[in-house]
Amino acid sequence: MNAVVGVVFSSAFLAAVMRVATPYLLAAFGGLIAERVGVSNIALEGQMLAAACTGALVAGHQGSVALGAVSGIAVAALLGLLLAALRLHLGADVIIAGIGLNLLASGGTAYAVFALLGDKGGTSGLQSGSLPRLHLWGVERIPVLGEILSGQNIVTYLAFLAAPVVAWLLYRTRFGFHLRAVGEAPDAARSVGIPVRRVQCLGLALSGALAGLAGVFLSMGYVSFFVRDMTAGRGFIALAAVFLGGLRPWGVFLAALAFGAAEALAVQVGTLDIPPQLVSTIPYVLTLGALATYAYRRRRRSNAEPSRA
Amino acid sequence: MNRSRVAAVVAVAGVLALAACGGGGSGGAGSSSPAASGGLRIKLVVNGGLGDKSFFDSAHEGLKRAQKNLGFDLKVVELGSDRTKWEPGFEDAAAGDDYDILAAGTFDVTDYIGKLAPEHPDKKFWVFDAPVDYRGGGGVCANRCENVYSVTFKQNEGGYLAGFLAQKLVAAKALKGAESLSKVGVIGGVKTPVIDDFVVGFKAGYTSAGGGESDVLVQYVGGDKPFGDPAKGKEISNAMYGQGAALVWPVAGLSGLGTFESAVANKRYTFGIDSDQHETLVDQAQRDTVITSMLKNVGNALYKAAEQAKAGSLKYGAVDSIGLKQDAVGYVDNDHFKQVVPESVRTDLRQAVDRINSGTVRVPTAF
Repeated sequence: MNAVVGVVFSSAFLAAVMRVATPYLLAAFGGLIAERVGVSNIALEGQMLAAACTGALVAGHQGSVALGAVSGIAVAALLGLLLAALRLHLGADVIIAGIGLNLLASGGTAYAVFALLGDKGGTSGLQSGSLPRLHLWGVERIPVLGEILSGQNIVTYLAFLAAPVVAWLLYRTRFGFHLRAVGEAPDAARSVGIPVRRVQCLGLALSGALAGLAGVFLSMGYVSFFVRDMTAGRGFIALAAVFLGGLRPWGVFLAALAFGAAEALAVQVGTLDIPPQLVSTIPYVLTLGALATYAYRRRRRSNAEPSRA
Repeated sequence: MNRSRVAAVVAVAGVLALAACGGGGSGGAGSSSPAASGGLRIKLVVNGGLGDKSFFDSAHEGLKRAQKNLGFDLKVVELGSDRTKWEPGFEDAAAGDDYDILAAGTFDVTDYIGKLAPEHPDKKFWVFDAPVDYRGGGGVCANRCENVYSVTFKQNEGGYLAGFLAQKLVAAKALKGAESLSKVGVIGGVKTPVIDDFVVGFKAGYTSAGGGESDVLVQYVGGDKPFGDPAKGKEISNAMYGQGAALVWPVAGLSGLGTFESAVANKRYTFGIDSDQHETLVDQAQRDTVITSMLKNVGNALYKAAEQAKAGSLKYGAVDSIGLKQDAVGYVDNDHFKQVVPESVRTDLRQAVDRINSGTVRVPTAF
């Protein structure tokens, strides 16, 4: 037990939490925005994967990490728009369309890598580099805290900045007001002249772009190559964080951070003498518990509501 | 939503799903020999995908050699990583009449093959890295699997050598920049008998060379893609190096690629697995972290089986268990290895090989 406590309070662990939580945070904010415009983005996983693949391929071919990152994010945003087209213009079931996009991304990325590099596993044969780590001047010198806060990948800082930015966007801007309005009451929004469909499309593109940044982090920050299906379910865990967070930016932030912490904990205590099966269930047990809490809270709220009717 | 729209949506979703399956799965690198040379036709059914740079790629390479040198006809079917597609995939592959031998690997396929072999008594089946249950029962091997050849590997012997070498390197303070560290790490994909066989062997080797078992950190990747999640592999490696490991040995397929990056960042060392990863990695800094690679030569084993099959001497209905002695497992002894590992340690390692081959040392196993 002492060993576990020692691990949890080490600066290496807290730095790992930030790193592990990064893709969850970004993808979860993407999921949040989609949810708020009234379209569930099941395709977060596929958008991350497509971005991870595109980023590594473009960076490897063009020799520019920045270009790779931008094209990865762009592809994910386009997938967001594709989901919008399927759902809003063709009236597809949003779950089926999302699953379809995930399958498309899984197969499409494997195909693209094989077609371009002749490798069925991934782009590890391509030197694509990774996005820079930032050494924060001044912060670095603070004992303990410096080790945690400085020297992280640039995307990690963006992920943590995303929380206040998304909160500001949703609650303090006109566009954010429109986003929430079209999600909650599209007819009312339309009646006051808000271009509902355009706002929803923009919301889904933004959602895809955030998932894309999460994907780019995986293949160009966490590691420096793409491997088939390397997102490994992170998009779905992010989706769980969206609901656990009660569809609110700071709630989602805490939920995604908690998932990151659970996974980092599983990694850190994995070498201790605890059965590995038990350790690897930590994130999933947390997810289940979280969703049960969410369902319970929602039921209590809906039980409280009928008095109005 | 009107009816034609529903139909359109279903069609679109279906097309997307098909496109995805095509990319990930059955598309396959079906390659047939230039002319039907009358040679045996082998169908390699991969429950996963090629491109893992180790296990399946090695099997594929061995069979390609058999195609080139022995006049075999080779066809490859990739079933993708979706387990629900494996059983129907194997049924489809076995039902065709375009093969004489169906080859498949890993513990996961033994039940499928055990069921299919009695249904196709005129065909032959090869299972590598796990045996079918020849005793029958439970709906498998109704014919005692007399048309199935199984080959298993003594990966515990490879693990033993890795552990032995790791401890000798630590004791000799031969790892530059990590002289003060006494721990080493092993990362497995998932806790299965085959993976644990590596681990059990590693611990035995480490302790036999004079190390303490508590200095061996062991961890599994687990999760959704245990053999395809390099980000998690890197995180685990970071944790191990952070806990004072001088060297980490990933036995986790593509997840292990994260270990080499972590080793560069932490200025520590690694062993490779299954193929010579000092050769297959592209980044020079990463290559330099690989002291040697423990080989599990699936390809060689299948090539030998092909030779015997051609001569008509391959023994069906039984398990062939091969290891160090048969050259099925071993370590890479290249220039880089000679450069990094001191002469005395290399001699010790060769003696350990001799002890296993002569039977003086019996390596414990997870089976």
